[in-house]
Amino acid sequence: MLHEADAPLTRNEPDQDRTRPVRQVHDFKSGNEAAALAARDIGFHVMGYFPITPSTEVAENLSQMQANGEHDIVMIPADGEHSAAGICYGAALGGGRVMNATSSQGLLYALEQLPVQSGTRVPMVLNVSTRTVSGPLDIRCDHSDIYFVLNAGWIILLARDPQAVYDLNFAAIRIGEHADVRLPVLVAYDGFLTSHQKRRIDRFDDQDAVRAFLGEPETPYSALDPDRPVTFGPYMNDPDLINNKVQQSEAMEAARRVIPEVLAELKALSGRGYPVVDTYRMDDAEAAVVLLNTAAENAREVADRLREEGHKVGVVSPNVLRPFPADEIRATLKNVRAAVVGDRGDSYGAGGGNLSLEVRAALQQDPDNRTLVMSRIYGLGGKDFFDTDARMFFGEALKAARQGTVAVPFAYHGTWAGDPAQNPPAGLPPLTTEEVSRGMAEVTRDPDTGRLEVELKPLWEMATVPSRIAPGHGACPGCGIFPMLRQAYSVLEGNVVVLFQTGCAMVSTTGYPTTAHRITYIHNLFQSGAATLSGLVEMYHERVRRGELPGSPDGSDTTFIMVTGDGGMDIGMGAALGTAHRNHRMMILEYDNQGYMNTGSQLSYATPLGHRTSTSEVGSALSGKLFHHKDTAQIFAACHLPYVFTASEGYPEDFMRKITKAQWYAQREGMVYGKVLSFCPLNWRTEDDAAQEVLQTAVDSCFFPIYEVEKGHTTITYDPDVIGRRRKAGDWLGQMGKTKHILAPAHAEQLAAIETEVEQRWRRLKIMHEHPEL
Amino acid sequence: MSRKVLLPDTGQFFEIRFESIGGLGAHAAGRIVATAAVLRMGLNGAHFSSYGSEKKGSVVRSFIRLAPTDRPIRTSAPIESPDVVVVFHSGLLAHPATLDGIRPAGTLIYAGHADEVPAELARLPATTRVIRIDAQTIAIEEKSRANAVLIGTLTAALPFLDRQAMIDTLDATFAGRHPEAVAANKRAFVRGAEEFELLENIGCGEDGILASPANPVWGYRTAPLGGVLPMPGNSVWNDLHTSRTGWLPVLDLDKCIDCGMCEMVCPDLCLVWSTGAGEEDQLIVKLEGIDYRYGKGCMRCVETCSTLAMTREAETPGLADRLRVPLFPDLLKETGGGHVA
Repeated sequence: MLHEADAPLTRNEPDQDRTRPVRQVHDFKSGNEAAALAARDIGFHVMGYFPITPSTEVAENLSQMQANGEHDIVMIPADGEHSAAGICYGAALGGGRVMNATSSQGLLYALEQLPVQSGTRVPMVLNVSTRTVSGPLDIRCDHSDIYFVLNAGWIILLARDPQAVYDLNFAAIRIGEHADVRLPVLVAYDGFLTSHQKRRIDRFDDQDAVRAFLGEPETPYSALDPDRPVTFGPYMNDPDLINNKVQQSEAMEAARRVIPEVLAELKALSGRGYPVVDTYRMDDAEAAVVLLNTAAENAREVADRLREEGHKVGVVSPNVLRPFPADEIRATLKNVRAAVVGDRGDSYGAGGGNLSLEVRAALQQDPDNRTLVMSRIYGLGGKDFFDTDARMFFGEALKAARQGTVAVPFAYHGTWAGDPAQNPPAGLPPLTTEEVSRGMAEVTRDPDTGRLEVELKPLWEMATVPSRIAPGHGACPGCGIFPMLRQAYSVLEGNVVVLFQTGCAMVSTTGYPTTAHRITYIHNLFQSGAATLSGLVEMYHERVRRGELPGSPDGSDTTFIMVTGDGGMDIGMGAALGTAHRNHRMMILEYDNQGYMNTGSQLSYATPLGHRTSTSEVGSALSGKLFHHKDTAQIFAACHLPYVFTASEGYPEDFMRKITKAQWYAQREGMVYGKVLSFCPLNWRTEDDAAQEVLQTAVDSCFFPIYEVEKGHTTITYDPDVIGRRRKAGDWLGQMGKTKHILAPAHAEQLAAIETEVEQRWRRLKIMHEHPEL
Repeated sequence: MSRKVLLPDTGQFFEIRFESIGGLGAHAAGRIVATAAVLRMGLNGAHFSSYGSEKKGSVVRSFIRLAPTDRPIRTSAPIESPDVVVVFHSGLLAHPATLDGIRPAGTLIYAGHADEVPAELARLPATTRVIRIDAQTIAIEEKSRANAVLIGTLTAALPFLDRQAMIDTLDATFAGRHPEAVAANKRAFVRGAEEFELLENIGCGEDGILASPANPVWGYRTAPLGGVLPMPGNSVWNDLHTSRTGWLPVLDLDKCIDCGMCEMVCPDLCLVWSTGAGEEDQLIVKLEGIDYRYGKGCMRCVETCSTLAMTREAETPGLADRLRVPLFPDLLKETGGGHVA
C-alpha cells in the first residue's frame, strides 16, 4: 500500500531562482571558520557536538557567533561523540537541518551511529577535519579517520581548501536531502592544513538567494508529525534487511547523478565549480599523481613547474569519495602510462591504502587499460607534504611511464629507518621501592568505627621523597596537575602503575621520545581508561596467584591508579561506573580543572554554570555555560565504593591524608574515586601564581567542598562555616577572568542560580556529614 | 578601504615565518599581518601556525604566505625558505632550526635587549638584513605585548606593507573584546616601527642556511615497537627555560626555613633539596636552590612562601645560569643534549 511517501517532493524541481548569481564578499578564513560560517548562513536547526582537535573551532566559532546573536542554531554539547551522533540523529528525525563536526577518535567513537543514520535514511551534514587515529595518539592530519567511514553508507565530499569547505556544506544539504538520495553527508577537509589555515574566501551575502538555493527541508517521515505516526527502526532480520540495503545502495547510485546536478547549480550560484573529480593538466598527461585534498593542491604547484620543464604530468583529485567516482577516474587515467596514488592512511595488509585500492579496482573494469599504478602511503600523522615530496611522486610515475614497468608497487614514502648510533636521551635509573616507600604517612584503623586514621610526617620531610614524575614536562606555567601528582607520590608506598586518560597531564608528560614518568605509565582514550586499568589489575592478581609474578599473596604491593580529568569524566563515564560497580582494587584520580583545557578550554560537564569557555562564550545573546557542573564524587559515592573523596591541590596535607587512605582501600577492598580541584591559570584566566587565593576561595565559598565518603559515611574534612571562613560564591567568581562577567548586574539571575546550587549541594553534604548513617 | 599594494617580484610567494613560544602572541600577530594584507591591501595570502597542544611555553611557528591578488595559493605546506624570519624570543636563536632556510637576500628580525647579539647570528648569510628590536621592554613600557611591537617593526622593514592598513587591522582585532588594548597596541606598533636597529656585519655565511636535518632520533628500524618508551623520566633532558617570560623566582637561603611548602605546590619539580644528619643523627633537610632548566617562572613558590625567602626577580641575561642549582649534576652535563649510553 502506498502512502504520502510516494508523493513527489517538489523541492527538487529546478528552481529558476536557485541559479541566479549570489552577492558575495571577500573574507579571510580557515577551514573551520568556513564551516562555521556556512552553518550560520545555512541556518541549521540543531548542532550536536563534542569538541575534538582539530575540528573544535567549528563549535567554538559558532559559540562566539551565538553569543553575539548571529545565529539561532541550537548547540548541544554532548557528553561524547557517540552521544553527539545520537543527538544529531534524534534531531534529524524531527525533520529540521542538523550538523556536527568532528575528527579522528571522535569520528570513530561516533562510528557505530553512522550506519544507523544512513540505513534509516536520515540526512544531516557532518564536517570532518581529518586527523589520524590513535594509537599512539597524534593530533595531526591524515585520512585514516575518514577511511573508516567508507563503508558507513554516508556520502563523502572532499574539501581541499576553506572555500571548498564553505561551498560544499551548501551542496551537502541539497545532495543529502534529495528525494532520490536521502543520505547523510560528510564533508572532509584536512586537519590543520585546511582546518587551521586561513585563506581568502568568498562567502554569500544574500540570504534570499541562499534560501532559494537550499529550499525548505522536507522529509517523507517526521518523528514530530502526530497526524502520521511512524515507526523508525523496526526489528528487521532476513529476508528484509538485504532489501533495505538495496535501497541504500540505489540511493548511493542516485547520488552519482544528483551530485553533479547540485554542484552545477552551486556553480551557477557562486561561480565556483567542483567537478566530481578534479583533473589538472591531465589532457595529454603521461604520468599522474592521484591525491586527496591539500596534497593534491601542493602537487599542482609542482606539476606547473614540471610542465615548464617539459614533463607531461597531471594531478587527479576526487572531490567526492563516496560514491566513489570510478567512471571519472577510469576516463581521466585512460591514456596515462603510470600513476602514483598517494594514501594518507594504510589499509594494513591490503597492499595499498583505500584510495589506491579503489583506483586499481576502477581501472580493472577497463580491459584495455594499461595504466601502471603505484601505491604510496605518505603524510601519516601530519607529516608534511612538501613540493619535494610531490616531485618524488611525479618522478616515480615518470620513470615507470618511461620504463613501462613498476619496480615497487607499494611502499611508504617519507619514512626514516633510523640510525643505530642514535638514541633519545637515556632515562633515569628506576626508582627502588625503598626510595619511594618512606613511611611519610601512617595508617591506623579505628577498631570501633572501622575507619582509617592517618598521621603525616611534616612537609619538609616529604620534600626528600623522589617524585615518581620527573621535571622537564611541558605543562603550562602554574599548572595544578603536577602539585597534585607530587603530593600524591610523596605518600604513596610501593609500586605504582598509572594509566592516564587523554588530557593535559598525558600530553605534557609524554611528548615522544621523552617521558616524564619514572614508573610504568599507560595511556588510553577517555572511553576506555578505567576498563583498561581494571583489566591490568586482574591480570596482575591472576599472575601473582599463578606464581608467574612476584608479589605478596594478596597482591597488595602494587597500586593501580588511573589519572583522568582535564574536564572530568564525560566520555568514559559508563566504563568508569562499570569499573566501580565491579569494584576492582584500583583508584581513579580526577584532576578537575573545569574544562577541556588541553584542547583550548571547551566546556565540559565539570564546567560550572555561567563559566566562559570557548564553546560557552559570553555575549549579548549567551552567558557562558547553560547548565550546572557534574558532581562526580557523589556519582561514585552512589556506587557504594569503599572510599570516595574530594580534595584541593591547595590543601596538600588534607589531600595526602586522603591519598594514604585511598591506597589502603585500593589495595585491600576495592575501587577508590578521588576528585581534586586543580588550578588552570591559562583557562581560568588568572595570573600564573594565583593558585592559593583562587583554590582557597573555591573551597571557602563551598563551591568545591572537601570531604570524604568512607564506607558510606560522609565526613566534611574542612568546613569553612565552622571556622568562620565562609565566603560567597561571587567572591570566587570575581577572582577569575572566565567568571568575572557573572558579577555584572546583567547576570544577577545567573549568580543567584549558582549561589542557590552551591548552597543546596553544601547543605545536603552537611546533613550527610551529621547523619550517622549517611 | 582595500588598496592595491605591490609585492616585490621574486617569481615566488613572499614568505614570512614567525618563530616563537606559546603565549607570546605569534599566532595572533601572523593572523593580523595576513588579514591586513588580504583584506586591506588587496593581496592574496595564507596564514597558519604549527601547533602542539594548547599550552603556554612550547615552540610555535607561524607562517604567512603572500602573493599578488590574481595568483592562487594552493600549497599548504610550512614555509621552508622564508624571505623574512621574525624571532619573538632571542633564546630561540639557540635552536638551529630557527634560522632554517632563510633566503640570503632576506631579513631577520629578532626581539632582543639593546646590545644583545647572540652568537648564533654569525651563521646568517652576510647578505641577510638583520634587525633588532627591544620588543619586550617596549611592550612592558606601553602596557602592550611584544607581538604588537614586532608587527610594527615588520611593517617598517617591508615597505610594501601598508602601515595604515596594519594599524586598522590591529585596531579592529582588539576593538571588540579588548578595547582598552587598542591605544596601547598602537603605541607599541609605532615604537616597533621607529625604534628598531639595523645591525651591520652580523652574518658571516656565504650561502643560505639550509634546512637542518629533520630526521627523528628513532626510525622504524630502531624505535621500540608500538611507540613504547623504555627510558623512564628522560624528560629531564628537556630544557624549559625559554618558557619564562622575563621573570624568575630567586631563593634567599638566609630567609628560608626549609618548610617544604614550595615543594608541594611547584608544578615544575625544579626545587633542589639535600638531606643530611644533624649532631644527634636527626634528619636535616635543606632547600639548596632552583634548577632553572625546568622552572617556567610561574611564581607559585613565591606565592606560597611564608618567610619571603622566594622573590620574583626580573630575569637579566645570565642570571639564571649564575643562580642555577642543578637537580641532576651527575647526569646532565651543562652542555645538555646528546645521550647517555
